[in-house]
Amino acid sequence: MTELVQVENLGRAFDALWAVNGVSFSVERGELLGLIGPNGAGKSTLYNLLAGALAPTRGEIVFDGQRVTGWKPYHMARVGMARTFQIPKPYRRLSVVENVMLASFQRHRSVRSARVFAEEILADVGLSDHVTAPVTTLTVGLLKRLEVARALALEPKLVLFDEIMAGLTPTEVAAMTGFVSTLPARGITVIWVEHVLHAIMKTATRVMVLDRGQLIANDAPKAVARDAAVIKAYFGEEISLA
Amino acid sequence: MTTLGQLVLSGIFIGAIYALMSIGLTLIFGVLRIVNFAHGEFLMLGMYGAWAMTRLLGLNPYLAMIAVVPAMFLFGGLVYRLIVSPALDKPHLVVVFATMGLSIFMQNAALMLMSADLFDIPPVFGHAVTIGPLYFKAELVVGFVITVICTLVLQWALKSTYLGKAIRATVQDREAAMLMGIPVPRIFLITFAGGSALVGLAACVMMPLFSVFPTVGLNFVLIAFVIVVLGGMGSISGALIGGICVGIVQSLSSYYVAPAFGQMFFFILFLLVMIFRPNGLLGQKGAADIGIAD
Amino acid sequence: MAQSPGRISLAPARGTLSVFEIALLVLCLVLVVAPIPQNLQDIIVLTFLWAGLATAWNIAGGYTGLISFGHAAFFGIGAYTSTILLVRMNVTPWVGIWCGGLLAAFCGAILAVICVRLRGPFFILSTLAAAEVIRIAALNWSSLTGGPEGLAISPAADPVNMVFASKHAYLALMLGYLLLSYALTKLIDGSRYGYYLFAARDDEDAASAAGVNPLAVRTVALMLSAALTGIGGSLFAQYFLYLDPTFVISPEVSFQFALLPAVGGLGTAIGPVLGSFLITPMSELLRSYLGSKVAGLHLAIYSALLIVVVLYFPSGIAGALSGLSRRKGGKS
Repeated sequence: MTELVQVENLGRAFDALWAVNGVSFSVERGELLGLIGPNGAGKSTLYNLLAGALAPTRGEIVFDGQRVTGWKPYHMARVGMARTFQIPKPYRRLSVVENVMLASFQRHRSVRSARVFAEEILADVGLSDHVTAPVTTLTVGLLKRLEVARALALEPKLVLFDEIMAGLTPTEVAAMTGFVSTLPARGITVIWVEHVLHAIMKTATRVMVLDRGQLIANDAPKAVARDAAVIKAYFGEEISLA
Repeated sequence: MTTLGQLVLSGIFIGAIYALMSIGLTLIFGVLRIVNFAHGEFLMLGMYGAWAMTRLLGLNPYLAMIAVVPAMFLFGGLVYRLIVSPALDKPHLVVVFATMGLSIFMQNAALMLMSADLFDIPPVFGHAVTIGPLYFKAELVVGFVITVICTLVLQWALKSTYLGKAIRATVQDREAAMLMGIPVPRIFLITFAGGSALVGLAACVMMPLFSVFPTVGLNFVLIAFVIVVLGGMGSISGALIGGICVGIVQSLSSYYVAPAFGQMFFFILFLLVMIFRPNGLLGQKGAADIGIAD
Repeated sequence: MAQSPGRISLAPARGTLSVFEIALLVLCLVLVVAPIPQNLQDIIVLTFLWAGLATAWNIAGGYTGLISFGHAAFFGIGAYTSTILLVRMNVTPWVGIWCGGLLAAFCGAILAVICVRLRGPFFILSTLAAAEVIRIAALNWSSLTGGPEGLAISPAADPVNMVFASKHAYLALMLGYLLLSYALTKLIDGSRYGYYLFAARDDEDAASAAGVNPLAVRTVALMLSAALTGIGGSLFAQYFLYLDPTFVISPEVSFQFALLPAVGGLGTAIGPVLGSFLITPMSELLRSYLGSKVAGLHLAIYSALLIVVVLYFPSGIAGALSGLSRRKGGKS
């Protein structure tokens, strides 16, 4: 069985408003799936549903062969679904490495080995110079990298990236894009929300487009870029997606 | 039936007065998002003020408001400048401890200056108010009326005046208010001073009903906390409803169970609300999330 | 690890013992055996006890961010449990203190159910209210607690009843309690569980996303803190040999629990100890020199000092010390 995630008719209503409505899709192992859509399309809600931070109003989620609908976020993290937060949520009174250790404890039970592993991950994302720094000294760009490091330190099967490029310089964007594209080869399936569209268009194996809570496209990046409905959703004008 | 009516109505009257005493706390919480743990001592100070005006100058306690309310406004402004404002940009516990320290300081300063004795004033009205077969202390009814007027005026002021609108904007979104050019630090100062002035007003209404002594604030501040949380922190009409709930619970339980348990019942009521409606009875969603986050 | 190993740090790094801590321990041991005037010994007994209590509070308040203003309830529950067992059923306090600790832990679990989801002022006020419920119950359940008249333990010295004639014995007892609290804190400090507490304190969502159940973590921390506080309450009763509800379960007592770690340094192992070593003797000396002259003067001075300290040293003595040693270390 190669499907890692199956989502069936997923919906979440806030009062009378459906933020996500009737979304169905599946993700295969080793995919790098882009998730795009205009502001307010429901991307964050969809992430929160997948990660267990919100309970769905209806629909089912199957992850790694288990029905996980309505599970708590910490259960999801334990079975291998990691996420980043769009607005970084560091543990403010801990150092950079300690922030990552909290995630690596999931697989490394001793403080020593959790730390060793956390330092490896920090090197991966280019935070080696900041290992013992207080997390409050990091810039926004570095905090985004810390989010990535914390997600990967869980050694997840699936990671949900939420705008990890925002605030990065073009060089950093290129480096991060390169890094993310290596993840499927390491056995980590990726779903990736990003406003820096060219990064997604370049690396994603497939792109899903969310608009007003519904999936309006789900195809290869090139095909999505030509999709009339997608173009209309983005300000109603043609934009350069390549 | 008459007994029940008597109990419920006096519960409503006293509850409204409790609400009046809590409005300052709820305003300060809503705008500054801090809990002033010295709130009870502000009340104590106001009551001593009302007592002095009545006993020493022979004023009617309700007229004492003219002096007590502005004095408490100034006092609140002073406390804001000296203690609250320096604590605002520090970890949230700092303001908790600073106001708790102020509370202990004021209690003991009062003990030094006024001794531990109870002070009270003679009744203002010679007779009770009758409503059908029911009798009420006139001071209680007057207090209720003043509370209702005060709440209405305050609601109107918050809705219609520029200052009121600025305060409400600050409650809703501090950052946005700042960006819109509202002088947020000034709003904080005015709210804290204004909240203190309201406690002064409540003190004048309460002086004919209760005795004043250095730790009188402790008895009332816990009630005020309960009311503010029941009503949803930051809500004035919520405080009124919360106050009336507390008043009725206290009045009924002291009669039917035992006076000593009256307090216990509204603490239990408070805890139940926290379990089942953590944002307060009328609290808007997310009220529990704002609060203190340093 | 990157922390320079050769440097003698004043505030110990997480999970290690510093020279400073060992020196402090030696000083405490000397204070236990040294021939000191009795009235000073009384102050030291209280200092040790409050250091242990503040350390217990800090597990919930400092490490986990559960700022409780209701710890007097756990303190009172511990004190009443062992005392009632002793006075009414003749159970030795050597057993009773553990019963008190267990019952306090149980009440901690109940409190956790009520308010572990709450934040900021809501949490603080709920703990305050819960403690008031316990106090009023203790005041009115006279058949069990003796009500406002309180309960007294026979002052006849008897080691079986944990009543001693020698202050040295009490000093050793309280230091033992402090060491128990401190050892548990250090154990947490250096372990995975310690990090879980920090995570639950600093960011609930991030903790969840890292596989940590913040509510469970907070519940355990509150129970552990309550258990240690209950044990301290029993020891307090054995030292004072008298209890009444306003004496042990008042909001002032709860306030003291939170104050000492705040002055010493929240969320550090050494902070509450430093807080108690500074504040307890100061408040006792103020009380004995000024308390009898003008009622209220010593508390007025004490609280004014407190306001100044919290405003100007918001991260406590431990924070100020580590800032100092960091500055020194930076130069070398």
